[in-house]
Amino acid sequence: MKTGLFFVVYNQLMHERLSFYTKRDSVLHRINPLTKLTLVLGLILISFFSPWYWTPHLLLLFAIIPLSFFGRIQRNFFGAFIRLILPAAGFLFLMQAFFQPIGENTIFQLWFLDITEESLLFAFRNAMRVVVMISSFTLFLLTTHPSELMSDLTRRGLPGQFAYVILSTLQILPQMQAKAQTIIAAQRARGLDTESSFLRRAGSLFPLVGPLVFGSLVEVEERAIAIEARGFTSTHTKTSLHDIPDTNSDKAIRWMLVGLIIIALAWKIWLL
Amino acid sequence: MEDMAIVNLKNVTYRYPLTDSPALQNINLQVIEGEFVSVVGPNGAGKSTLCYTIAGFVPHFFKGEISGTVEVAGVESSKSSLHEWVLNVGLAFQNPFNQISGAKYTVFEELAFGLENIGVPREEMKIRVEEAMKLTGISDLADRSPYSLSGGQQQRVALTSILVMQPKVLVLDEPTSQMDPIGTREIFGVIRTMAEKGMTVILAEHKVEWIAEFADRVIALHDGKILLEGIPQEVLTSDFLLDKGFGISRYTSTAREAKKQGLWKKDKLPVTLDEAVEGFAK
Repeated sequence: MKTGLFFVVYNQLMHERLSFYTKRDSVLHRINPLTKLTLVLGLILISFFSPWYWTPHLLLLFAIIPLSFFGRIQRNFFGAFIRLILPAAGFLFLMQAFFQPIGENTIFQLWFLDITEESLLFAFRNAMRVVVMISSFTLFLLTTHPSELMSDLTRRGLPGQFAYVILSTLQILPQMQAKAQTIIAAQRARGLDTESSFLRRAGSLFPLVGPLVFGSLVEVEERAIAIEARGFTSTHTKTSLHDIPDTNSDKAIRWMLVGLIIIALAWKIWLL
Repeated sequence: MEDMAIVNLKNVTYRYPLTDSPALQNINLQVIEGEFVSVVGPNGAGKSTLCYTIAGFVPHFFKGEISGTVEVAGVESSKSSLHEWVLNVGLAFQNPFNQISGAKYTVFEELAFGLENIGVPREEMKIRVEEAMKLTGISDLADRSPYSLSGGQQQRVALTSILVMQPKVLVLDEPTSQMDPIGTREIFGVIRTMAEKGMTVILAEHKVEWIAEFADRVIALHDGKILLEGIPQEVLTSDFLLDKGFGISRYTSTAREAKKQGLWKKDKLPVTLDEAVEGFAK
């Protein structure tokens, strides 16, 4: 009963959230997807290249967090930040602080593991770099509709087949999960054991995998026919339903970001 | 008639790869522009294979051995390629779920998918999608996710996604299998309208009452061969078909029993409710 309810709620969530995208009316949403992608790459590369210790920290405080307010998705952003980004970065921080054998000024000792001032600082910066990386991607996913990104990239020469694979996977995975639940329910109705010992449950996976895999293969054939019938392999130049604006300021921002990345890289090389 | 035919199959025999017996045998079929032809037959008779053949998927997609010629609008299938063929011949089939592209988030985008692929300009695309949605009665679904729809609604979307491409020939393989009677009637009405506007329709279907009401001609297929063809009223009431396991309308079977008891006075058996009422009233 409990599990049944869980699946219902879960499927509902999956149906509603086919992607991270959160619809809002903001400049960040309207910016060209490639510009946003360049921004994300810029934030990540600069935080990794820049030799100055506080770069990733400042990027988070003065670029990423303000951008989340600017894009009016701060609630979703902080939700993801607390549930996903902080635990991941916290774990990385602990691992690096304990296992990085650098520095002499021991602050704290646990059995054979030392935490030194240097390893602490090192771990803090690396964790911050990872925070910058994940949170800027989160920002990107929250403000960019997948199909918008793909049509923009297709227009710039990304093969249509590639875009199709990415987009359909995003949508078909939740569908397959739902189907797996239907098969489980059907097999349980015929007495399949899904609640006893681990080994038995592992064994009961087999009658699930067969219908799911073979069913999917049949589906793939039908879907191939369906998209072929709609001119998927047509040699015409594809058009796009949505007009994705790419303004001069978009181009200017992109070049500026490329410039900043090069400066950060040059600074690092020059210091070496 | 052969010169006027937009769809022209001559002596077509086809065998799927890795099978021994042919799925289609010596099929000769001519369909003229604007004609609404329905294909009936028991399961495994070759209805879907015939649809795939006209739509170019046999042999371009399924491979296998084919002999004879398939022509649409004067072009021979074996000399064309599938992506050019689909511009003339549209295909919608039974399972609506697998006909959703999966790459689009709303019904409107889903319907535009085919038009994007064949390079229709944006403004024209929007007009065509809106018109097609109005035609099949799905305008109110435009912003919904195609996956959140019911089976019947998805079938309407699947049919609309082909109609919007404005093919010369429309091939439909049980396009109303998941619809309720009201929905089925509406869709048959839409298909009829398309035929009257000059679109040629080939429809594989089990629902004989609707065929009798809407189609111009019926082809009865059995074991890959055409057994009978003619106007719906005659083909669908033939005793010959009944013995071969074809589905017949309940009005036909009722009147058939009645005839044995001497209660049905007319020569011809009915297929639709109206015909039955009229016959019994006499």
